[in-house]
Amino acid sequence: MDTELYLDYNTVIHRLDPRTKLILFAYAFIGLVLYEHPLWMVPIALLILLQTALARAWINLWRLRYLLFLLTVWGIVLWNLFASGDDPIFWFVSEQSLLFSIARTILVLMMIVSGVNLISTTRNEELVLGLIKLGLPYRVGFALSTSLRLVPTTAASLQTIAQAQRSRGLDLEGGNILERLRKWLPLLIPVFISTIRSTNIFGMALESKGFGARPDRTFYLQTEMHRLDWILLIVGGVITVVAVYLNLLGYGDIPGLQRF
Amino acid sequence: MTDLAITIQDLRYRYRGEKTPALKGITLAVERGEFLVLMGASEAGKSTLVASLNGLIPHYHRGKMKGEVVVLGRNTQEYSVAQMAEVVGLVFQDFEAQLFSTNVELEVAFGPENFAVPREEIARRIDESLSYVGLEAFRHRSPSTLSGGQKQKLAIASVLAMHPQVLAMDEPTTDLDPISKLGIFEITNELRKRNDITLIVVEHETEEVLNADRIALFHEGELIKVGPTREMLEDVALLESMGVMPLGIPRFFKTMGFEKPPLTVEEGVNAFQERGWRISDAKYEAMVAAEKADLAKLKKPLIQCRDLKHTYPNGVEALRGIDMTIMQGDMVAIVGQNGSGKTTLAKHFNALLMPTEGEVLVHGEPTEKQGVFKIGQTVGYVFQNPDHQIFSETVFDEVAFSLRLRKLPEAEIKERVAEALTAVGLAGMEEDDPFSMTKSGRQRVAVASVLAARPEVLILDEPTTGLDYAEQRGLMDMVRRLNQEGSTIIFVTHHMWVVAEYARKVYVIKDGKMFLEGTTREVFAQEDKLKEAFLRPPHFVQFSNRLGKTLLTPEELIQCLDDA
Repeated sequence: MDTELYLDYNTVIHRLDPRTKLILFAYAFIGLVLYEHPLWMVPIALLILLQTALARAWINLWRLRYLLFLLTVWGIVLWNLFASGDDPIFWFVSEQSLLFSIARTILVLMMIVSGVNLISTTRNEELVLGLIKLGLPYRVGFALSTSLRLVPTTAASLQTIAQAQRSRGLDLEGGNILERLRKWLPLLIPVFISTIRSTNIFGMALESKGFGARPDRTFYLQTEMHRLDWILLIVGGVITVVAVYLNLLGYGDIPGLQRF
Repeated sequence: MTDLAITIQDLRYRYRGEKTPALKGITLAVERGEFLVLMGASEAGKSTLVASLNGLIPHYHRGKMKGEVVVLGRNTQEYSVAQMAEVVGLVFQDFEAQLFSTNVELEVAFGPENFAVPREEIARRIDESLSYVGLEAFRHRSPSTLSGGQKQKLAIASVLAMHPQVLAMDEPTTDLDPISKLGIFEITNELRKRNDITLIVVEHETEEVLNADRIALFHEGELIKVGPTREMLEDVALLESMGVMPLGIPRFFKTMGFEKPPLTVEEGVNAFQERGWRISDAKYEAMVAAEKADLAKLKKPLIQCRDLKHTYPNGVEALRGIDMTIMQGDMVAIVGQNGSGKTTLAKHFNALLMPTEGEVLVHGEPTEKQGVFKIGQTVGYVFQNPDHQIFSETVFDEVAFSLRLRKLPEAEIKERVAEALTAVGLAGMEEDDPFSMTKSGRQRVAVASVLAARPEVLILDEPTTGLDYAEQRGLMDMVRRLNQEGSTIIFVTHHMWVVAEYARKVYVIKDGKMFLEGTTREVFAQEDKLKEAFLRPPHFVQFSNRLGKTLLTPEELIQCLDDA
């Protein structure tokens, strides 16, 4: 079952050191979260999309299209509840709150895109190694990568289980919300049980391979910072500093917006 | 002085929450460089014993341990699992759950990394282990893209890279097709020749253990007997009484009165010819004719595939033009290598998958027009892993699930559940908790829950995997009974002896195409063609092929012997 997001290409983004990619991810977050006004987010959003293009990761965004669509619609509507402004449009929506909703929706979408860029171009092990080299303890890094690994395997077993129950006559569509939730029980219980079983074997395999046998361990995988890594970190750093500075000067806010 | 690798002294173990102990006083010594096979029925304690070799027992599992296990001077009570891992490597049956890296090289590197082996040495060991198991060409692939056999080879390579002195494998071949099984056994054979490695392998497949030095036979937590391989395999009656499949060839010769029966195909052919026995052509022809006449009685096509093609959304062409017709009342096996498309094919029969080209007809109507919900009443599908469908608190609720969804009256539900449970041999266990049953019990609950809908066709995907010999027989006998009562049976399997003894027709799938079809006898007669599809008939059938006729069981051979 094809549920992994990592794309085995050799693009310029793939070749970057995982540390660089993690820090760029952090830069993107800082650069986006500052601004209330969507227009000010456009430059950084474009840079993130440029990264997607260079990484050839569109396919993964396409896979997530329903999620992204839902988040867009819900985001643009719901964020209005958390803000208000002086120029009402209708009911709880004002001009200011609408702009703010668009900005927050862009933030959520772009963080997902940025995360997809990271995961599409970085192997699980590289990600962990990057985090460890940035100071995370090995065990924490490993736990993180294991939980990432659980996502595709759980998705695959959910698919099989859904087939098994459908062939016994389970129809997941139709009915009110309560009925629909009840219909998920025959799927969730087997997923839960089989995940526990395989996690148990995973734990045994891990210990049997000497996990934690020595306080220090070697890493076969090597990561190296090249010139491009440093250039990107510096350029990204400068952009982020400029973004913070402009924000401190008061740019990018929405006049008359009240946030709750 | 003998050089012992493993000494086990009066080992007793009980898992927490269990009433009966899993091991009841095992004493066993294994020499360095020996190849020992552990055999026995389910719940015999084989896996528990393996887990106690590297300290998973007592450190990982919770329970009560008495006695001691010493491996190469390390007492498992005093060393942690990670410390034991330096000398004992463990390979598990479930190859999906024991691989966790995103590429083959990194999977192999993981063990040595934990022991802080220098990077250059790890690189050397990756080369060494991958070439040992024949996976050099796959070093940059993701393990999830490998076939089942390759995954298990990778699991072995990843353990070999730690340079263990004892290698223990718990049913490494259970989920594999016959040729992949052979691949694993070739590796074990190579390892056996090395003096620096002691091999402990749990195995159900009797044919594969002929190269072992000794066999230890377990039953309900006790070590019944341990002895040289030959001596153990000759004792057909003992194996059978302990729920282990005896080999067909010695079974035949024992029936014919041999004290020391031949074991292999070669030995069998020689002994047969020495005695001057002959297979009667007339009797054989009569048997084949009777079989044909029986099959000719089936006249109504039930499932028809016409140029069936299926391409998955990711572009993989799983089926590439299949034409076949399954008759009402038949009992057929679908076989093929791991990943050949046999499960994809079976899932088309009850509309779980729809053809991307061509069509599948059930009772003359395309599945696309009927949909899963409607076809589910005609065609029942039992999935490979019962844990992928069981979710209820009682057996009754589990079996009634499908009936309640179809809104049948409660009285009829009761009647049908009782009927289905009787059919699978679980009558009276309505109130039991399915989760606490054994694998074979859960498998039966899964079959009953499909039977309760009274389908005309029953599809079973790998029904015998993970069951011991007695359980496999029990399940297949039950399935055959359903067939005799009128159900059409389709089963997908890797177990060739199950095909030989239970299927009336066989379909061999290779690379998404129909490679071979015919009666079981016709298909098993073509050993060379089967080999191209990575399959191989059981030893007994190979033996009879060498004698010039295809006979599926010792009973058939006895029936066809020339009296003169």
